[in-house]
Amino acid sequence: MVILFQTKPSLLAGGVVAGPLENRSVFSQYFDSVYDDERWQMKTNEQGHRKMIEEACEYAMKKMGVQKGDIDYLMGGDLVNQMTPTNFAARDLEIPFIGLFSACATSVSSVIIACLLTELGAANFSLAGASSQHNAIERQFRYPINYGAQKPQTAQWTVTAAGYALIGKHREEYPSIEAATIGKSVDYGMDDPFHMGAAMAPAAFQTIQSHLQQRNQKIYHYDLILTGDLGQLGLKLLKGMLVENGVKNEELTLLRDAGAEFYGQDEAFQSGASGAGCSAAVFFSYVIQQMRAGSYKRVLLVATGALLSPLSYQQGETIPCTAHAIEITMK
Amino acid sequence: MTLPLLVVLSLLNGCAEKEKFIVYGSTQNESEVEALIKEEDYVDRSTVIQYDDSMLVAVQIKPLEKWKKTKLEKKLQKKFEKKYPNKDVFVSADYKIFYEANKIKKDQMEDTKLSDKITELKELAKEET
Amino acid sequence: MEKEQYQQLEQNVTPKPPYLKNVAKAFFVGGFICAIGQAVSLFYIIFFNFTEATAGNPTVATVVFFSMILTGLGLYKRIGQFAGAGSAVPVTGFGNAVVSAAIEHRSEGLVLGVGGNLFKLAGSVVLFGVVSAFFVALIKYILVTIGVVSW
Repeated sequence: MVILFQTKPSLLAGGVVAGPLENRSVFSQYFDSVYDDERWQMKTNEQGHRKMIEEACEYAMKKMGVQKGDIDYLMGGDLVNQMTPTNFAARDLEIPFIGLFSACATSVSSVIIACLLTELGAANFSLAGASSQHNAIERQFRYPINYGAQKPQTAQWTVTAAGYALIGKHREEYPSIEAATIGKSVDYGMDDPFHMGAAMAPAAFQTIQSHLQQRNQKIYHYDLILTGDLGQLGLKLLKGMLVENGVKNEELTLLRDAGAEFYGQDEAFQSGASGAGCSAAVFFSYVIQQMRAGSYKRVLLVATGALLSPLSYQQGETIPCTAHAIEITMK
Repeated sequence: MTLPLLVVLSLLNGCAEKEKFIVYGSTQNESEVEALIKEEDYVDRSTVIQYDDSMLVAVQIKPLEKWKKTKLEKKLQKKFEKKYPNKDVFVSADYKIFYEANKIKKDQMEDTKLSDKITELKELAKEET
Repeated sequence: MEKEQYQQLEQNVTPKPPYLKNVAKAFFVGGFICAIGQAVSLFYIIFFNFTEATAGNPTVATVVFFSMILTGLGLYKRIGQFAGAGSAVPVTGFGNAVVSAAIEHRSEGLVLGVGGNLFKLAGSVVLFGVVSAFFVALIKYILVTIGVVSW
């Protein structure tokens, strides 16, 4: 079911912090800070991860001149076991907090919850977002960083980035959230953790279809439909599914994927970028800034997440995926 | 690091035909020994050191025959023992022994040191791990 | 869209792994690593008192040391991405598996981190290596006993 926000909460600001490798991203010019040490001068990757989240939140607050005492809620998550980086960042930020896990779709699911709290009148300001740190996540899901295993062309590269958005009551001059769709957990029987795009594309497809149907819209009603981290192959698959469902080819140009574009055409990153920080970084920097500049009037952000764990795929389970969407408009 | 590389290169180049079968030390039975080795077509190169009544036969076996290295070694050992029953024969197909045997020849090692060296090499060849 | 239909689409879109290219890369990189190993082995034979039979141990140690350095510098994973099995199968790949796990788990301390996880990846190599060596030796022993082959 689509959620319609009567008060249209606004995305007041975004704070995006990224790691050294993300200098190579086509979006790096939109980021607030690209740090040259992937551990943020902390002892461990996980501590660096935490620091990155804190900095992203601080950038978002600073842009609107608010203090952490003014923030009513913090919604966010990451991919590390038990989400300790986000939990620990919340400890230092001292903001009432709920950790959310929708894998890489957390960037949008957290915004949806924050909007609901704003709509309810419970929050004046809230922070919502997600993050991932390459080393900490790779170790969580795959092999040690320095292990020389060959990644197939279908693999994606987990980005080091944190993106947090400051959400508040509706303001004309800021991009506002009109509607949202919470996705189902979709499983099309894909079981390759090195081919996540293929697992996630059906979830994105279902969420987009359901959102458009219930909103009575077509793809061309949007200036941009941006998915989170399907990668080049996942985006192709999503387009393929849409074409099968009667979407015209010219409409497909409105569909883009943050993960596929993140590192440009650099083959070193195989199918593109992934990770909770990928969609968060692009949505809360590039998209917000482009909307404020007037380039886009109506945007559908669809963050996709693969809900697997190393345990689940070793036990031979297929990979269920989810996708959450928010419709953002700018007057 | 450059030296082993040179060795590899020189191995690749191969040696001139006439240096392939060498007998050093006493000239006794020289051509006979050479003929004895040449009979065995799996032997690529060989260096035989003779001193008093001991005889060190260092051979290099052709690449594809190397699977049976220890077997061929034994075969050659038996052949020599049969031919020279009153001599102390030692056959080895190990590269180290072959290399040292060639070095003995190259350095023109004197007789007094020769017997010690041969005993030393025999012990070395018997080492396991 | 049905699952079967989607799987069909997925098959069409996903590029086939370039098997031939991968095999060629693995062959040459693997061969190059072995050539380095041979050079190290000759080095020990010529300059130290090692024979062909005894040079194996110091050679393995040296080559694993090289792989350790490359892993620490973050270069081995790049070789691995290029060569695949070519750099994973030689003993350097084993060294890489051990060292990368050690580096990764250093943050959890020496005992529970490094000690507990050192053989996280290489453990199965050790286990199945020993088990298969046992069976190969057993088969050979039986064959020798019946007289089909000799030692």
